[in-house]
Amino acid sequence: MNHMEEQLWSYIDGTCTPAEEQAITKLIAQDEAYSLKYAELLKLNEEFGTMELDEPSMAFTYNVMESIRTENAMQPLKATINKRIIWGIAAFFIVSILVLLGVAFGSMDWTVRGGNTTFDVKIPQQLDATHVKSFFSGSIVKGFLFFDVVMGLFLFDAYLRRKRDVKQH
Amino acid sequence: MQSKLSDIELIEQTLAGNQAAYADLVKRHQRFVFTLAMRFAKTREDAEEIAQDCFVKAYRNLASFQQQSKFSTWLYSIVYTTSMTFLRKKRVDTSSIDDDEGYIQIEGKPSAYDAHNIENKSRSFYLNQAIEQLLPDDAAVITLFYKGEQSLEEIAQTLGMEANTVKVKLFRARQRLKEKLERNLKHEVKELI
Repeated sequence: MNHMEEQLWSYIDGTCTPAEEQAITKLIAQDEAYSLKYAELLKLNEEFGTMELDEPSMAFTYNVMESIRTENAMQPLKATINKRIIWGIAAFFIVSILVLLGVAFGSMDWTVRGGNTTFDVKIPQQLDATHVKSFFSGSIVKGFLFFDVVMGLFLFDAYLRRKRDVKQH
Repeated sequence: MQSKLSDIELIEQTLAGNQAAYADLVKRHQRFVFTLAMRFAKTREDAEEIAQDCFVKAYRNLASFQQQSKFSTWLYSIVYTTSMTFLRKKRVDTSSIDDDEGYIQIEGKPSAYDAHNIENKSRSFYLNQAIEQLLPDDAAVITLFYKGEQSLEEIAQTLGMEANTVKVKLFRARQRLKEKLERNLKHEVKELI
């Protein structure tokens, strides 16, 4: 590495210590080689400073913001699947399983016969599903469909509002 | 007239949900980020892709910006990392320093028009041409130092190096740039004769 150049670059950049700076100033004043090199590097330094920055395309900022908007628009989908919904579904299944187990154990015959604990599962011979059929009568199905339509419209409205907000930003 | 907001103020507004503030931040830094990306990518299309990717990454991680350094230093470190990843992915050949063969030499006697054109070429044209011939790392250090308003310590932070290593790198990069510049200018003068 050229020591003189290295010293002079540090001097030009102002990265040398005050003592070094003083010594180099003296060298530039007294030594012609130093003085010539200093003038050359100073000119070069000035020239490097004239470097021009490149210009990206006109749509650059728009493209960046569009990428961000696309990314943000995808995020609410993630947000809607929040933990409360998942826990709600889990609770529904846990309660259902517990109820079924309760009914199953409740229908068992826990009797002590001759010192031995035995149990007998009483399975209904024939399930009476007439009351179940009544749940699927015309009015209930219509009510269920009406609820679905209202929910669908509500979600569609929320989606449109979100889209409009993103556009406004 | 509204006074120009600082980077930090624009960041705070962005974090509060004002995307227009981030657009201002992009506009403010896009030229330098794009130029820095150009030092690695060489083609405008790739450089735009890198620069765009950097701004999206910066937006995504804006909340994690600690404000212990300048926003530009933090942003340039993203540019540097993204550009290096790009180079690795694209497997760009960065081994050739003497890449004079990369230039297309047009044979034939130079006309008066050529001479006029050469005269009209600004010194910054030759400078940019010489920078393009440098290794990406050298070109990046030179650009950060002269155009990024970055101190040696800040460049060190951007590149993930020691300040002394950056100092040596900058010295070598300047020497190489000087050689390239001299060689290119000598070549142009020869063409005229």
